[in-house]
Order: sequence, then C-alpha cells, then structure tokens
Amino acid sequence: MEYLGFLVELVVALLLVCGGLTAVVGGIGMVRFNDFYMRMHGPAMSSTMALGCMILASILFFWFHTGTLRFPELILTLFVLISAPVSAHLLTMSALHLKLPRQSNTQGGPFELNEKIDQD
Amino acid sequence: MTLPLIVLLPLLGSLVPLLGARAGRTGSACLTAILPLCALVLTIFLSVSVFDGQIVRYSLPWVPQLGLELAFRLDGLSLLFALLILGIGLLIIVYARYYLAPEDSMARFYSYLMLFMTSMLGIVTSDNLLLLWFFWELTSISSFLLISFWTHQSSARKGARMALAVTGAGGLCLLAGFMLIGKIVGTFDIGTILDSGDMIREHPAYMVVLVLVLIGAFSKSAQFPFQFWLPHAMSAPTPVSAYLHSATMVKAGIFLMIRLYPVISGTDAWYYIVTLVGLFTMFYGAYMAMVQYDLKGLLAYSTISHLGLITMLLGLDTRLSTLAAVFHVVNHAIFKASLFMAVGIVDHECGTRDSRKLGGLRKYMPFTAALATVAGASMAGVPLLNGFISKEMFLTESLQTQNLGGLSWLIPALATVGSALSVAYSLRLVVDVFYRGAPRFLPKEPHEAPRPMRLPIEVLILLCLAVGMFPAQIVGPLLDVAMSAVAPNAMDGQDLSLWHGFNLPLMMSIAAMAFGAVLYLLRGGLNSFRRDFLVTDAKYVFEGAVQRATAFCARALDRFDSRSLQRYVFLMMAMMLVLASFGLLRMPVLMGEVPMQPLDPYIIVGATLMATGAIATVYFQRQRLIALICLSITELMVILTFLRFSAPDLALTQLVVSTVTVILMLLTLFFLPQQTPKASSGIRILRDLILAGAIGIVIASINFAVLTQPYETIGNFFTEQAKPGGGGYNVVNVILVDFRGFDTFGEIAVLGIAALGVLKLLNRMKIFVPTTSAENRPWSPEYYPTIFGSVSQVLFPLALMVSVYIFLRGHNLPGGGFIGGLVAASALIMLYMARGVEWTLRRLRVDYQHVIAAGLLVAAFTGMGAWAFGEPFLTSWFDYFHLPLIGELELATALVFDLGIYLVVIGSTMMILANLGKLATPHSPAREARKASTKSTTMEHH
Repeated sequence: MEYLGFLVELVVALLLVCGGLTAVVGGIGMVRFNDFYMRMHGPAMSSTMALGCMILASILFFWFHTGTLRFPELILTLFVLISAPVSAHLLTMSALHLKLPRQSNTQGGPFELNEKIDQD
Repeated sequence: MTLPLIVLLPLLGSLVPLLGARAGRTGSACLTAILPLCALVLTIFLSVSVFDGQIVRYSLPWVPQLGLELAFRLDGLSLLFALLILGIGLLIIVYARYYLAPEDSMARFYSYLMLFMTSMLGIVTSDNLLLLWFFWELTSISSFLLISFWTHQSSARKGARMALAVTGAGGLCLLAGFMLIGKIVGTFDIGTILDSGDMIREHPAYMVVLVLVLIGAFSKSAQFPFQFWLPHAMSAPTPVSAYLHSATMVKAGIFLMIRLYPVISGTDAWYYIVTLVGLFTMFYGAYMAMVQYDLKGLLAYSTISHLGLITMLLGLDTRLSTLAAVFHVVNHAIFKASLFMAVGIVDHECGTRDSRKLGGLRKYMPFTAALATVAGASMAGVPLLNGFISKEMFLTESLQTQNLGGLSWLIPALATVGSALSVAYSLRLVVDVFYRGAPRFLPKEPHEAPRPMRLPIEVLILLCLAVGMFPAQIVGPLLDVAMSAVAPNAMDGQDLSLWHGFNLPLMMSIAAMAFGAVLYLLRGGLNSFRRDFLVTDAKYVFEGAVQRATAFCARALDRFDSRSLQRYVFLMMAMMLVLASFGLLRMPVLMGEVPMQPLDPYIIVGATLMATGAIATVYFQRQRLIALICLSITELMVILTFLRFSAPDLALTQLVVSTVTVILMLLTLFFLPQQTPKASSGIRILRDLILAGAIGIVIASINFAVLTQPYETIGNFFTEQAKPGGGGYNVVNVILVDFRGFDTFGEIAVLGIAALGVLKLLNRMKIFVPTTSAENRPWSPEYYPTIFGSVSQVLFPLALMVSVYIFLRGHNLPGGGFIGGLVAASALIMLYMARGVEWTLRRLRVDYQHVIAAGLLVAAFTGMGAWAFGEPFLTSWFDYFHLPLIGELELATALVFDLGIYLVVIGSTMMILANLGKLATPHSPAREARKASTKSTTMEHH
C-alpha cells in the first residue's frame, strides 16, 4: 500500500512538473516569438498540455486519497480541449484577414498570405 | 345592490357598442340602448322607496385608509338628475343613429357616450365626496373624447382640449375644496357632511372651501370667467352638444352647488359671489347669443345665459329660489335638448347652420319648424309652456331679495331685462330660421328629416307642454322629493300652478315679452354695436397661452439641462463627492476597532492587476477595443476577489455578467468609430482627473471605515434563518427569492421595463452600418466560421442543461434563477454569434417580450398564491417529500418564483442583445416594425 502510495505520488508529481514546465515554456513563447502566428503556439500549449497534465494529476491525487473518482475535472478537460482549438482558429482567421506581417522563417504559407510574400 | 347597478350598467354599456359593431347602424343603436334602459327601469323601481321619503344607500369600502368608499345614494335630488340623464340619454341614442354619417364610427361614439353617461350618473348618485370627484374628472375626460369625436377637425381638437383644460383645472380646485371639507368634518361621507353645515360655515377655512368649490362648479357650468370653453365645445357632433350642454355636463356644476347647498350656502359671501356671477353670466350669455350667426353658437351662449340664471337663483337664498333653480334645471334640459336636436336637423338637412344663409325653412321642414317653435317659445317663457312657470318663479323670487339694501330693486329689474334678452334671441332663432325670408346659397336642397330622427324632439316637446300646463301633477312630486334633500321645507306654501292672478311677476313677464320683441326688431343696431369691439377668438387666446407656457417651461428646462452626458456625469459625481466627504469629515477617526488582516501575496498581486487594468482602460480610452480588453482584466480580478472571500454566487454572477457586458459593448463598438478623436482640453482632463481621484480616495476611505467598524448586521439573522425560515442552505438565494422577494419582484419588473425601453429605442433607430473597418478593410467574407458554428451548436444543449442545473440547485448551492438565466442567455448569444441572426431566427421562433411577460406573470402568480392561504403576498412555502426512486426531495414555492426570475433574465438579456445584434442585419427592429405596420395597413385595406 505504501509502495502504491509512493508510486501514485510519483506520477502525480511528474504530471505536475510536466504541466508546470509546459506552462512556463508556453509563457516564454508568448513573449519571445516574433510574429503573431508563432505566438499562437504558446497559449495553445499552456491551455491544452499544461492544463491537461495538472487536471490529470488532480484526478489521480484525489482518487487515491478520497477513494472517489470525480468527473467534473474530466468535463473541464473536455471543455478546454474543445474551446482552445476553436478560439485559436478564430484568432488565426482574423489574423489572416488582417494580413498581419509574418517572419520570413515562419513555416507554412497559407494562400491568404501568399501575395504578401510574393511582394517581399 | 340594485343601486350601484344604475351606474354599472351604462359602464358595461360602453363595451356593448364595440361588441355590436357588426349589428349595423340601427342594430348598434338598439343594442346600446338596452343597458341604459335597464338602468332607467331600475331607477324608476327604486324611486318608489325614494318617494316614501327614504334614501337608498349602498356602500362598499374601496380605499378605507383614504376615506374613499364605493358609496352610492339615491335621494330625491339624485333621482331627479338620474332620470334626466338616463331619459335624455336614451333619446340622444336614437337621435345620433340618424345624425351620424355612415363613415363615422358608431361604435366609438356610443362607447364614449355610455362612458359619459356612467360618469354623470356617478356624480349624481355618489355618497362619498372623493367618489364624486372621481366621476367628476371622468366626465371631463369622456366629454373630451366626445367633443373631439371628429378628430380630423382642428377646431374640434382645440375645443376639446380647451374644455378639458378648463374643467380639469376646475376639478383640481374642487379636489382641494373637498379635501378641506373632509378635513373639517372628518369624513368624506356626503350624508354626514350634509348634516354638518354649521361646522363648515363657522370654520375659519370656510372662505377657502367656498371659493375652491365654486371655482370647480363654475368651470364645469361655464360661469363667468370660465364661460369661454363652452362655445368652442360646439365643434362636437350635435347629439353630443344636445346631451352635454342641456342635461348633463354643464348641469354637473349646478348639481354640485345644489348638492352642497345645505353645507356651504347661507352666508353673505355665498350670496354675493353666486348671485353676481350668475347675473353677469346671464347678461353676457344673452348678449352674445343675440349676435351669433352660428345657430349652435347661439344655443351655446343661451345655455350659458340660462345657467347664469340658475346660478343666480341658487345665490338669491330666498325661500323658494332653490326650488325655482331645480325646476329650471329640468325645464332647461328639456327645451334646450330639443332645440339642439332641431338645430342638428337643420344642419343635417341644409348642410349649414349659419343663420345668414338660412330662412323660411318652414316650407321645407314643417314638422321640425313646429317643434322648434314650441321649444323656442318655451325658452322665451311663453305661457302654457314649462319655461314660463320657472321664469315666473324666477321673477317672483327676484322681488323677494333684500340683500342689496336700497339698490335691491335692481335685481328684479335686471331679471326682467335678462328675460327680455332671452325672448329676443329665441325670436331670432325661430323666426329668422323658419319663418322670415328664404334660404340662400345652401350647400344642399333642404328637406324634412326622417320620422325617427324627430321622435326624440317630439317626446321632449310633449313634456314641455305637459309640464307647462299641469306642473303640479307632472313634476310636483318629483320636485317635492328632490327639494327634501336640499331644503326640507321649501315646498310649504308653494303651488306650482299656471295662474297666480294679475300680480307683479306677471306684469314683469309681459314687459319682458314686449321689450324682447323690440330688441329683436332692433337687432341690426346690436350687431353694428358688436362690430365696434375687437374680435378675439378665445380659442387663439387659449392656444397662445398654452404655447407660451410650454415655451417658458422649455426655456426653464434648458437652463439646467444641457443635454450633455459628460455634464450630467460630472454633476452627479461632484454631488456624490460632496455628500460622501461631508460624512467622512465628521468622523473623528477613520479606523475602527476591527484589527486588519495580515497581508496576503495573492491579494497584493490581484489588487495590483485590478488597478493596472483600470488605469490601462482609462489610458487606452481612445482605442476602444484595447480599452475593453483592459477592462475585462479588472473584471476578472473582481471575480477572483469574490472567490477569495467566499462569495461563489457573486463570483458566478459577475462572471456571466461581465461576459455578457463585453459582448454588449463589442456590439455597440461596431457602430462607433474604432478610434475617438481627442476631444477634451488639458484643463478638462485635469479637472476630471482630480474629480475621479478624489472620489476614489473618498470611496476607499469609506470602505476602510466600514470594514474596520464592528457592528451588528442583519446578515447574521439571514444566515441563521435561511434553513429554518426559507428552507435553503444558500443564504444568497434565499434572501433573493424569499426574505427579499418583493424587492426581487420589483427588480425583475424594472429589468423587463428596461429591456422594453431598449427595444423601443432601437425600433426608431436608423443607424449607419459600417461596411469596412477603420483602415478601409472590408469585413471578412466568412461571416460564420464553420468550426465555431458546429462546435457551439453541439455545445448549446449542454450549456442549456448547465443553466437549468445551476437554476435548480440554487436553493442550496451556488446558483439560482439569476445566474441560470444569464448562463442560458449567453448560450443563446453564442448561437447567434456563431450561426448568425438569419439561421437562429429560422430555428428559434421565440418572442422575447412574451418570455419577459411570462416570467413576470409566473412570479406574480406565485406571490399571489399565498393569498389563497390567507398569507401576505409572496409568502413562501416548502416541505420535504419522499419519492420512490428519487429519494428525499424538497419542494418550495420559492423555486417557482425563481423560475419567473429565470425567464425574465433570459428574456431581457436576449431582447437587448439580440436586437442590438440585429441592427446591422435585414432583421433590424426598425425594419421589422415598418414591415409589421405596412402589413397591418394593407390588411386594413383589404
């Protein structure tokens, strides 16, 4: 039992650290990246990967300590997983419509931006 | 119980014409006549006990705290007037059937007429002064509707407005007078008041009471100086004039003076005011009647003159003068109604009522001529007709008066001259129109009126003759019982006979006849005398006065209302600052005894962020989108603060409210320029900065003072009572729907009204819809992104479920109708945004007005449900049930009330947001309203 406890706590700790790291990386990305399209990655990472890890950790922790599996957290994950791509999509669409400038080394060239690159 | 029916039946009767509009013109008239006929039969039925000397009474408390009772009485005086009102009213119904043109709305006319009849009957049968006043004002309003019946005529509208203004203002004076009487006597019960005449007459405020009541009576009865409205009310259809200005409206003032005669008469002030005003009005009316070309104008002024005569008789205060006044009320009603109707026939069949064009109509309409001649003779006071007898009494009584000392002989002399003028204008009316000369330039060929149209006149003329020849038999008992209500022993020693022998009054009467004939022959001179005066039309004087008053008010309003939002906000904030700092300055120490909490890093971070957000909002105020984002930072921090201090309900509400607010502001921003030009000068910015800073400091200090002050709040009571008293663990929700349910009820009503107001504003709004952004970039062609649309469509039912869940659990856990409603509304808004107005409207045919109304009704009925159990409004009830499968369940009426809140919140939020969102689409409220109106007009055309 004690061994199992240690194992669970190890997993929980790993998940927490992983989530925290992802969030930090995402945050740094927000600040460091040079154009809008690259900056989109930062928040997407923190809201999916980081949040997902932490919620999993929470579920595991409370499941082990209280003995009940709580679903609200899972629903929370579900909602985050739905809303994050949708909002990212909307943001990118408006960025494309506004023809926000992009760095020449940003990968991929959607057709909306092609003429801009041709002009460069 | 029979008594109130007399008033109630005509009131119901005002609905009958609207229902019977399909019955055709004759059918409509017959249907309308049924209920007043019933009322007349009831009155006659009740009159048996009145003749036995009883007073029939009926009373029901209405607003006992104000002394207002639904109290009716039928004594002799009420009986007399009620018979006049109902009898002549029925004749008018018959007459109007033939008078009104096919294009006039019969239903509307009869409905107004019935309403008017109700209010007159109410006046004469009220047993409570306040109730009397209520009906008094109702006559003003219903007569306004009747006079302005032909709404397309400017003169009708102006005349009606003038009548309403004058009689309405008089009514207000009357109310003041009644309040004083009520104060002096201690009750508004008329029976008690009639017995306390001495108490009122000896009271120091008697003069005020007298003047106020007389102003009310004079304005209604068109006595000088309020006589000017009556001639202008002649723009009404003739049946209306015949009714209002013979038997009813103008007699209301007379009735009031007779009703209160035992209370306020019998003093010198009464004598001088009433006699002199009556005398002057009599002369003025008679003179003006002589020089009128319009026949209805002539009759209007002759009415004023006869009302003056009655008023003067009431003032004379001799033993029999009151009897003469009451008698003349009856006689005048009879002959004046028939004259009006005869003139109406002339107008109807000749197309004009200008006496210069009319003449010799006897050849064309012999029956009408004969009827008008008898009625005119009665007005002139020719023997064997009813007018003669009351005029004889008037002359007799004028001889009795001694109050003017040595000059008392003037009264009978002037009375004779007044009678002579009456003879002269009667001659003018009858002879000029029916006998002398020939008609000239008539718009249409005159012919006799149809038989049923003459019928009402024939009935009245028969009465004229009957009363004139056998007065004691026909009206003696009625007058007797009427006078018993006014002056108990007035009838002693009085005989209502035709022949009193060759006495002085008969001589005066003969002299009046002769003098009147002479005046008639000399009327050319009178007319040229009239031309020497500057003609002023009272209508223009009145209109001018009204417009000057309006302009003055508008100027006065402009003085302190600059219509600038900035100014309003500045003044409001400055006022708040002054008031708040005033209280703060008087506090000795700001800090109270409650110790401060230790600093907490989370709070420091949160507070810093909140302040930063606020400052950034102000800083970026010219770039509105960025300012909005900064504002939402502050809002987020507020939500977190609520959570930190354990207020989950508040946090939830604030969360949804700020979401909805941001959407609302985004919608509004769409119609505004994306950037605002710099508008404020440096000094103004500095001023506003200082003001805002000062307010911030003061509010912070107040908060600090309040939070550090130890005091007992009502909160503890609520927390303790929530479970035992309201049946819920969520104190906030229990307060909302139970302890403070009435407040909440008011709030949701306000919310609904505000939403309706927004809709009303948007209905009229024609707004510029920008097609490009500020940088001239066209809007994205992809209006409704597919991913967003599909996802939100899938999420929608889930969101609604969440909202229902939050709503249902509200009584015990954070949630409730308010939050649930907001959640549902934001789900709906999401759908609107994702799929567009077009798509949503096709699938969601909900009228948000109905949602609001349904919510309010649910809340109201839940509240009223408590009455059924003898509890006050909004008393809640809850109990626990054990259901199989589900288990223990709590049911509370508060939940139903909460459902009302839920619906109102959804309806109002959606009404505001959806309509604002629709502005830019083809479904904008203004277009919808236009479409609806064109549709309804085309339907009318079909």
